[in-house]
Amino acid sequence: MNKKIAIELLDSSGNSLYESERKIYPRDVAGRFQSWRKVAVFVLLGIFYGFPWLRWDGRQAVLFDLPARKFYVFGLSFWPQDFVFLALLLIIAALVLFFFTTIAGRLWCGYACPQTVWTEVFLWMEQWTEGDRNRRMKLDKAPWGVNKLLRKGSKHLLWLVFALWTGFTFVGFFTPITELGARAPWQWSGWESFWVLFYALATWGNAGFLREQVCKYMCPYARFQSAMFDRNTLIIAYDPMRGEPRGPRGRVLGSVLQRARGLLDPGMAYDLVFRAAQHPTAADAAVQARGGTAIADSGIKDVAPLPKFELDQLGDCIDCTICVQVCPTGIDIRNGLQYECIACGACIDACDEVMDKVGYPHGLIRYSTQNAIDGKPTRVLRPRVFVYGLLLLTLCAGWAWGVSHRIPLIAEVLRDRNALYRVVGDGRVENSYTLKIINKDSKPQRYRISLQAPGGIVLAGGERTIEAAAEEVLSLPVSLSAPDSLHGKQTVTFKVETLDGQTRKSVPSSFFGPM
Amino acid sequence: MTDYTLPRFDHPPRPMAQRIGAIMWPSFFSAGVATMVFFAFVDPLALRDLTFPELSITRELGYTIGFFMFWLATAGASLFTWILLRPAARFNKPLPPER
Repeated sequence: MNKKIAIELLDSSGNSLYESERKIYPRDVAGRFQSWRKVAVFVLLGIFYGFPWLRWDGRQAVLFDLPARKFYVFGLSFWPQDFVFLALLLIIAALVLFFFTTIAGRLWCGYACPQTVWTEVFLWMEQWTEGDRNRRMKLDKAPWGVNKLLRKGSKHLLWLVFALWTGFTFVGFFTPITELGARAPWQWSGWESFWVLFYALATWGNAGFLREQVCKYMCPYARFQSAMFDRNTLIIAYDPMRGEPRGPRGRVLGSVLQRARGLLDPGMAYDLVFRAAQHPTAADAAVQARGGTAIADSGIKDVAPLPKFELDQLGDCIDCTICVQVCPTGIDIRNGLQYECIACGACIDACDEVMDKVGYPHGLIRYSTQNAIDGKPTRVLRPRVFVYGLLLLTLCAGWAWGVSHRIPLIAEVLRDRNALYRVVGDGRVENSYTLKIINKDSKPQRYRISLQAPGGIVLAGGERTIEAAAEEVLSLPVSLSAPDSLHGKQTVTFKVETLDGQTRKSVPSSFFGPM
Repeated sequence: MTDYTLPRFDHPPRPMAQRIGAIMWPSFFSAGVATMVFFAFVDPLALRDLTFPELSITRELGYTIGFFMFWLATAGASLFTWILLRPAARFNKPLPPER
């Protein structure tokens, strides 16, 4: 037994099976898409931070009053019984997401997702305090000193203040915010303090540290969004027919669009991209792009390296790797559409900037469809767009109709469960009920309560009129009386209506006589 | 310096039975424990009277509904975990051939 066990030494500095996530230092970039993202940040965060301060009819305009179990959204108020509208609203939101994903890809991720939006703001603060990509990388590598301490400290101070304000605003949606502000922070209740701190911590952690890892490892939408995609969906796409083979060159060469070489054949172009991904150049390897290769089966092994290309064979990609450096998820978009791509368009803006510098036309990386990239016509109107669109329209119309046609009255009848019936002498039996009347209106109402019943069943004490204040919940004990000659179960109907007869509700219940 | 040019290890897909088993079995187990603990403190009949007094739900039906609701929730969580743990290579696949 002297057989040697085959062992393999793992590279001690890496390539081990466990690898912690490398930090991404997105390079700042300006351009069309980044401007739109800034607009989105200001609008959406403006809504979040501003709405709790708006007033409506003497109350907070948007208030989710959990202790009172009432939601106010501007002129609308929602009661627990309106839960169905909330559920419907969530379904509508999901369908909106599907609809826009089908047409224009991951607009949600790039512009609207809170994760992206807050990360963007946290990145700005990081840039103000720590500088641009190269400075941040250098700072992280540098030993701790006064400069590093000051820069990192001020970053975290900014983050912390912003995060705490975010937590405060969040709680302000559930507790009237002016009052919450007046009591801050020592007179806050335990729960208010907890939620302010917890939400601040979540903001700080998600936007400051987890960032793209939330999108890559925690987000369900990132995992299933491709189900809504087809070749006619707008994606962030690199044009390999124009860009490949990539490579640096002096300012001696015009764009392929103006040269004899022209666009490559797609099969050839995708093969070049795939081989470049398997055998990265030194520049590509240095930026350490993550993600995979979406353009070819990863099962293919033994990929031949790229030959050395003549100058006039080169495509328009100068392999500057700026597109990888600006990517907030750290992928190389030239490898094709990947699920890590959040469609923020940073690589488009960056590449357009580079194209300007080298004097090539824009659009080597562009917001386009797979069909357009492959030189085929794009179809916007397709069955799935119609299906999502129609469903969405129907649901929205239904929701609007339902919300505007809500009856501002809830009436319920609970039978007294202790006794089936009660004999009250002089030949009569009685049943007891609790009538629950909720006036959802914002003004007081008077209601008439009457009964529709067979066999001489009447309301004990006759019809009556009651008054309910605005948004009041009334609990009325009611008795029905009938001659004891009435036997068994009888169906009765309580009627509750406003005096003007505008709003009415009928509530069925049952009356039991002796068996 | 780590050599990032080497492709990272990508586990091949596991058999269907293994995938379903890994989702359904732990969730079944958790649902069982949760049901036991929950109904040790809550009587299904009392719960019925609080929620849907007009329905005639027996204790046995209450336990059954409770168990399957717990299982639905735990299986949902297990399914979510499975989706999130699938490697990137499962999602970054080439486009299917055009019809």
